[in-house]
Amino acid sequence: MTADSLDPVIHAPARLRIVATLAALPDGDSLSFTRLQDMLELTPGNLITHLRKLEDAGYLKSTTTGNGRGSRTSIALTRRGRTALDTYTDALRDLLGGL
Amino acid sequence: MHGTHDDGEGLDPGGAARLLARTERDARRQFNLSPPWITAVMGVVILVAYGALWLSTRDQHPYRGPSLGVVALVYGAVAVAIAVSAKVYRRATAGVSGPSVRQQQAEGVAILVSFVLGSPVLQGAAKHYGASDAIVYGVIPAAAPLIVVGTTVLGIAASKADRRQFGAALAVVIAGVVAAFAGPSGAWLVAGIGLFVATVGYAVASRPA
Repeated sequence: MTADSLDPVIHAPARLRIVATLAALPDGDSLSFTRLQDMLELTPGNLITHLRKLEDAGYLKSTTTGNGRGSRTSIALTRRGRTALDTYTDALRDLLGGL
Repeated sequence: MHGTHDDGEGLDPGGAARLLARTERDARRQFNLSPPWITAVMGVVILVAYGALWLSTRDQHPYRGPSLGVVALVYGAVAVAIAVSAKVYRRATAGVSGPSVRQQQAEGVAILVSFVLGSPVLQGAAKHYGASDAIVYGVIPAAAPLIVVGTTVLGIAASKADRRQFGAALAVVIAGVVAAFAGPSGAWLVAGIGLFVATVGYAVASRPA
């Protein structure tokens, strides 16, 4: 097994941190965009770009409620995303001979 | 500032593993509702409050109950503990929504109701039926909250199959039962020690590996 076998959607610093942060929440819980941005210290544009890639892969689900300035976007890891992170972690373990 | 990399180029497996471990640790710490320092605060509050109650009543013959000053100190200590807990809860759950938050809120209401109603109702009933001050202002207020609230938490822990919480709650209930037979002043001492041991024990058992 080589590093090329790692899921390219997750194997990027920002996206790895996004997925790992959301995975720390209990199954089914969501995190607001602003809290996620604060925790990861990413710019809004950068975060949106990475969230879109993860959402396109089916790893995340985002929900926006309200309109205009009062709108709130919440992001949650999907079951598929959680499984992808588990698979990625297992692949890292195999590559490194145990974390 | 992180996030300048758009892909995994330059991220070797070792670096990815370290980044993953660090991110998981940071996230768990930020979402943690019971950080170690809050356990220390709770431990101090328990020791100060129950210690003061025991010291103020241990030489009373017959037992009259804690002085107003000590009661005020205890209320102040409990107020500090509640304020600190609320601040930690708000910070940990800021921006978080979903089933676990709703469950925590329901658990909080159940614990609050059992705490607020449990002991005062029993004290009122005991007073109404002519029980002595040793029972009304000693045994019941020291032992009943531990038994009533401990049993509530025991049920919550059982429903979640949370062994650590179950163990701590069971220790609190046992301390309450022992306190009920330790005499009006001794009840405060037993309750304080039991609560302190359960709180610290739970914190130690919940430490990240």
